[in-house]
Amino acid sequence: MTAEIRDIAIFTTVAALAATAVMLVPGVAIAWLLARRRFPGKAIVETVVSLPLVMPPVATGLMLLWLFSRRGPLGALFDRIGIEIVFTPAAVVIAMSVMGLPLLIRTARAGFEQVTRRYEQIAETLGAGPWRVFSTVTLPLATRNILAGAMLGFSRALGEFGATIVVAGSIPGRTRTLAVGIYSFTETGQDRQAAILLVISVSIAFVAVLASNRMAREA
Amino acid sequence: MTLLLRWLVLAACLALAPRADAQGRGASNRQVVVSAAVSLTEVLQQLAPAYQAKTGDRLVLNLGASNTLARQISFGAGADLFISADEAQMNAVAAYIDPATRVDLLANQLAIAVPDDRPRTMMSARDLLDPAIRRIAIGDPAAVPAGVYARQYLQTIGIWSDVASKLVPAGSVRLALMAVESGAADAGIVYHTDVATAAHAREALLIPSTNGPRIVYPAAVVRAGKNPEGGRRLLAFLGSPDAIAVFTRAGFIAPVPVRN
Amino acid sequence: MAAFDLDFTLQQGEFRLAFSVNVEARALALFGASGSGKTSALEAVAGLRTPQRGRIAVNGRLLFDSDRRVNTSVRSRRTGYVPQDILLFPHLNVRENVVYGLREGNRPDLRVLVELLELATLMDRRVASLSGGERQRVAMARALYSGPDVLLLDEPLAAVDLPRRRRIVDALLGIRDELSVPLIYVTHLPEEALTVADWAVLIDNGRIVASGPPRDVMPAD
Repeated sequence: MTAEIRDIAIFTTVAALAATAVMLVPGVAIAWLLARRRFPGKAIVETVVSLPLVMPPVATGLMLLWLFSRRGPLGALFDRIGIEIVFTPAAVVIAMSVMGLPLLIRTARAGFEQVTRRYEQIAETLGAGPWRVFSTVTLPLATRNILAGAMLGFSRALGEFGATIVVAGSIPGRTRTLAVGIYSFTETGQDRQAAILLVISVSIAFVAVLASNRMAREA
Repeated sequence: MTLLLRWLVLAACLALAPRADAQGRGASNRQVVVSAAVSLTEVLQQLAPAYQAKTGDRLVLNLGASNTLARQISFGAGADLFISADEAQMNAVAAYIDPATRVDLLANQLAIAVPDDRPRTMMSARDLLDPAIRRIAIGDPAAVPAGVYARQYLQTIGIWSDVASKLVPAGSVRLALMAVESGAADAGIVYHTDVATAAHAREALLIPSTNGPRIVYPAAVVRAGKNPEGGRRLLAFLGSPDAIAVFTRAGFIAPVPVRN
Repeated sequence: MAAFDLDFTLQQGEFRLAFSVNVEARALALFGASGSGKTSALEAVAGLRTPQRGRIAVNGRLLFDSDRRVNTSVRSRRTGYVPQDILLFPHLNVRENVVYGLREGNRPDLRVLVELLELATLMDRRVASLSGGERQRVAMARALYSGPDVLLLDEPLAAVDLPRRRRIVDALLGIRDELSVPLIYVTHLPEEALTVADWAVLIDNGRIVASGPPRDVMPAD
C-alpha cells in the first residue's frame, strides 16, 4: 500500500467523521421536530430532507456546485471573506454531510417515535420542562437509534461519490476520496490502485454497516 | 440559473447516453454507433441529420473522454466507429480496431479559457503563474487527452511544477470547461473548439499548433461493432468536403496537416 | 382533607365523559368497568387530556377553567401521576427514578418515603429486575417525591399479586394519613375502595351514576 493510497484512506475516513459530526446536531433536531411536532409546511420539510436520497447524487452535486461556486448565493458570501469551498476538502465534507443527513434523520426519527410519548408525559407530571424532558428522557431512550443513524450516515459519507466528484473534484492529495479515487484510477487505466482502494472501501463499509445494524437491533 | 439547467441537462445526457454495446438486434443497417471524443459533440450533432438524409443511416452518438471510451471498447463495447482525441487512446485499443481503416481525421489546438465575469486576455501561458489564478481546470493529466496535452505543453514551457498545486483534474475536457464557466476554476486549459461552445467562458489565449503539442484525432472502425460497413461509410463521409467545412467552421483543423 | 372541585366534560371521538364531583375528602375512588371513562377522568386532572368544558380545582388551586381560559401546563399542575402501566424510566435505576421530580416547595423527606414504601433494599436496583409490586411502590415514591398537591393513581393494585396487595393498601393509607397527600385513584376492586377512600364515584359509560361514601356506592355483593 503506497503512501498515496494510505493518504486517500485516511483523508476519506477523517472527512466522513467530520461530516458525521456536522450532520449530527441538525439531524437529531430535525428528526425530533418531525417525530414530535406538527407545523405548517411539515410535509415540505420531510420531502426536502428525503431529496438527496432519491435524486441522482450527481444532481445533488450540481446543486451544491451552484450554491457554493463563486457566483452562487452561498459561494459569493464565502468568497467575500476569502473562503473557498468548491474543490477543497470542505466541499468533500459538505457533499458527504448532505448525502448522509437523510439517513441519519430517518433512523433518528424512528428512534424518537419508538420512545413512547407517555414517558415524556410522566416526566412532565414530575415537573420537568421541555428541555429537561428531551435531555433526560427522550434523548437517552433514543440514543441507540441515533447512534445507528449516525453510523449509517458515516457509511454513506464514506462511499459518497456522485456529489463529491462534482463539487470537490478528484484532486490528488486534496479532495480525492476512496470512491472518487476508484473512479479516477479506473478511468486512467490504473487498475491495481483502483482495486486496492476498492478492497479498503468495502472493508470499512462492511464494518460500519454491521455495527450500525447491531446497534439498531439492540435498541 | 441557466448555467445550472445546462449542467443538469448535460448530466442527464451523460447518465442516459446509450452505451455503445446497448443496441437492439435488427437495427443493424440503419444505425451507426460512434464513440467520439466529447469535444466533437456539437459538430457531430450538426452532421447527423445531413448524414441520415443522405444515407439513411442513423447516428447514435456515444460521447465522452477518449480514455473512457477506449476502456469501454476494450471491454467489448460494440461501437462501429471510434474517434479519439489522441493517438495514445487509439493505440490502447489497437487490438480492437481494424487497422486498415485507421486515419487521422482532425487536428485541434489548445486554448486557455476564463470565466466570462472575469475576462482577461493573456500574453502567454506564463500568465497562469499569476497568483490571482488560484485554480486551473484541466482534463485529468493521467489519461484524458486534453489533460495529457496540457501537461505536455506546460512541461514544454517549463511551468508545470509551478502550477501543479493549482490544477484541478476533471473527468473530461468538457467538465474542465464547466468548472471554468461556473467560476469554480479561475482558468482552464481546453481545446480551442470547446471555448466557442461555452456560454459563460471566454478564450484568454489561443495556443497555436506551432507552439503547442500536436493534437490529432485518429478515427478507426471497431471490430466488435454490429455495423462495420456503416462505420466505414461514416468514416468516408467525415473526410468529405461537406464534413470538412463543418469541422473547419467549428474551429477544427481539417484535413490534418502533414507532420513536418 | 382536600377540596375536590371537579366538574367537566371530556369528548374524544365517539366517547363522551360527563364528570361532576364536588366534595371534601382525603381519598376519592373512581369506580367502574373498563371503558367507563375513569382513566380519562384521572388524565384530565393530571392535564394529559383537555376537557371540552368545565373546571378542575384541587384545594382551591385552579388547574383548568374553560370559561376563564385557564389551562395549567402539565408540569405546573403539581399532580403526581402513576399510570396503570407504571412507566418507570427504563434507563434509570430505582433511586434515579424516585428523585427525578426535583421541585422546590414542600417535599417529603426521602427517608420517610423509602421507609413508608419499603424501598430500602431496592434503591440501587435496575428497573427491569423489579416485580410488579415493587414497581408500583417505586412509582408511588417517584410521584410523591415531586411534592404534589394530589396523587393520582390508576389501578394501583392491578400489577400486584393477591398476597402482596395488603402492602400497597397499607402504603396508600400511610400516604393518606402520615403524609397527608390527597388521593384520587381508579379501581375496580371493592376492597381498595372500602379501606382507603372516604368518597367513591361510580362511573358507567361516561356518566356518574352514584356518588357518596364508599359503603353507599359499592355495587351489592
